[in-house]
Amino acid sequence: MTDSQDTNRSESESGPGSESETEPKTDPTPKPDTEPEPHPDGGVDESKPLESASAGVNEQFENIRKTRRQRAIGWVVLTASIAFVTIQGLVATEFFSDRTRFTWSHFADRMGDYFPVTTNEIPGLDAGIPFLDIGSYWEFIMSNELIYDPEVGRLIFQFPPYLGDYYAFFFEELGMFTVFGEAGTTLAMGVVGTILGFPLALLFSVLASERVTPFPINLIFRAVMSFIRSIPAIVWALIFVALVGLGAAAATLAIALNTIGNLGRLFVEELEELEQGPIEAMRTTGASKPQVVFFGMLSQVRTSFIAWTLYILEINVRSAVTVGVIGAGGLGAVVATQESRLMFGNMMATLFVIFVLVFVVELFSQRLRARLRSDQEKQSIRELITGFPNRMADSLLR
Amino acid sequence: MSKIVVDNLRKTYGDTVALDNISFEVPAGEFVIILGVSGSGKSTLLRCMSALTEPTAGQVLIDGEPMTSTKPEVAMIFQQHNIIGDMSAYSNALSGGINRSSFLESVLQLQDNDEKQQALEALDTVGLLEEAEQKSRRMSGGQQQRVGIARALTQEPEVLLADEPVASLDPGSAQDVMGYLNRAADERDLTTFISLHQVNIARKYGQRFIGLHDGEKVFDGYREDLTLDVIDEIYGDIDTEGMFVSHGENESNRGSTDNQTSPNRGATL
Repeated sequence: MTDSQDTNRSESESGPGSESETEPKTDPTPKPDTEPEPHPDGGVDESKPLESASAGVNEQFENIRKTRRQRAIGWVVLTASIAFVTIQGLVATEFFSDRTRFTWSHFADRMGDYFPVTTNEIPGLDAGIPFLDIGSYWEFIMSNELIYDPEVGRLIFQFPPYLGDYYAFFFEELGMFTVFGEAGTTLAMGVVGTILGFPLALLFSVLASERVTPFPINLIFRAVMSFIRSIPAIVWALIFVALVGLGAAAATLAIALNTIGNLGRLFVEELEELEQGPIEAMRTTGASKPQVVFFGMLSQVRTSFIAWTLYILEINVRSAVTVGVIGAGGLGAVVATQESRLMFGNMMATLFVIFVLVFVVELFSQRLRARLRSDQEKQSIRELITGFPNRMADSLLR
Repeated sequence: MSKIVVDNLRKTYGDTVALDNISFEVPAGEFVIILGVSGSGKSTLLRCMSALTEPTAGQVLIDGEPMTSTKPEVAMIFQQHNIIGDMSAYSNALSGGINRSSFLESVLQLQDNDEKQQALEALDTVGLLEEAEQKSRRMSGGQQQRVGIARALTQEPEVLLADEPVASLDPGSAQDVMGYLNRAADERDLTTFISLHQVNIARKYGQRFIGLHDGEKVFDGYREDLTLDVIDEIYGDIDTEGMFVSHGENESNRGSTDNQTSPNRGATL
């Protein structure tokens, strides 16, 4: 019984719409053949026609069996071809080459470096409980100012608070990002890159849309965005080193440029799926072309544009780590330095910081996007924070 | 106040003839209803009149001027209302007068107070003054359509075209919307063209009727000429029984809401 249900379900998932009409006929529960109103089902021997069914039912039953068999053959062929392609690919990527040796022992040794272990001495006993040396991670994180710069931070974290220092923090030190040390640099690279890239991404995507620019000319803008995308941010950063020198500025420019390519592409996709209606409506009001673009087109996609921009922000923060690896500052540069010094424990500590940073940014962006997309009344920020324990408990108990 | 002349209007899509040499003249201020089944060319006719679609041959003259491109003097209301869901009812109404303001003015809503007063008055005309600040996406279908009407009114048109404005509304909202359209046309002396397929609604509000069948004009006349035979001709082979309840409009409207869908159903078959 469960079998026949399963197969029915898989059929309705993968089958085209036309078959859904016939599906209910195969659905009913199995019944003894002696029943006056028999229903075809998976329990009956499939090679035989249904004895007590009418010709029409039997014909449809036969049809369904045929399509099912064809689909099964299709799956086998597909699986075989994927396996075939995978083997070819593994050869091409030198998995079977003599130069590739899997040395698990060496790998395990190295992992030991990544995760330094210390033992907790139990007083009075010789033995101790080994555990991950979080202390050494923390020491590195603090001493290298990965997440907190005390020079800047002391301006706001002091007792009693001094208003002049708050002013200095925001307007003289401009410390909103720098207070978070290296993590702040990485975050700033992603945020500023997104902000700088956004207006140009918007401009290029609108100009690349066929509704705004006639057909051959709009391809120019698409091509420019393709070109930008085809070169990874890390390579763009190497190119910008010639302009501003090796550092976070080059990385930020690279991320901004990449944003034009990536975000612009997403915007173009979104603009393709516009509804014609509001555009026509704005045309009949006698609006000028920029007004038609703004009111007829952009107003339709405003929410999704904001959502996509937040998504690109996530990607840009991750890409800020990558670009940093060439020495362009932030957490990426710390990873590269520690790796070259073979200080794998320190490297792992930095990776944890990166994980937390990326996770926080993604959490922020996803919550914001969910809020933008939902049609309900927006929660206030205060409610969002104070109501959190309740909602958390709700979703845990669900 | 505009006199409208449609002169030998023809529109073909490949081999399909959507409009077959349609001609008529409408003096200023008339409330005209265009009747016909789906695919009879109602929408094409209205789209040609608003210059959203370019006719294959013939022309539309408004006050003697040919309609070659969309104009502020000719406003259009759509079946799917086509208002901007992300904006409030007020902002939508305000966007009707967009042709009178510059790009930045319209984007930042810096229009002068006259414009804003006009938008609010248009909302008042359609009975939505209270809901002015509501996001239009959250409104009901009938309300959204009324926002569309308010936008068209803010445009200060002389001619109002409405393409099946009530086709996707329930009977109650349909009556509402038609009532507001009628009132607006009356108050502002608009020459109005509304395409409909509900004969009973058409009869209640229409002054003049133009019947289309397969892209041809099969009827053009005033209320007293709209007989059962005429309806039969417009709707062709479709069973028109019950679609048409003669005279006694108020009664018929109350009693025939069930029948409203029948021409529609017949048309799509």
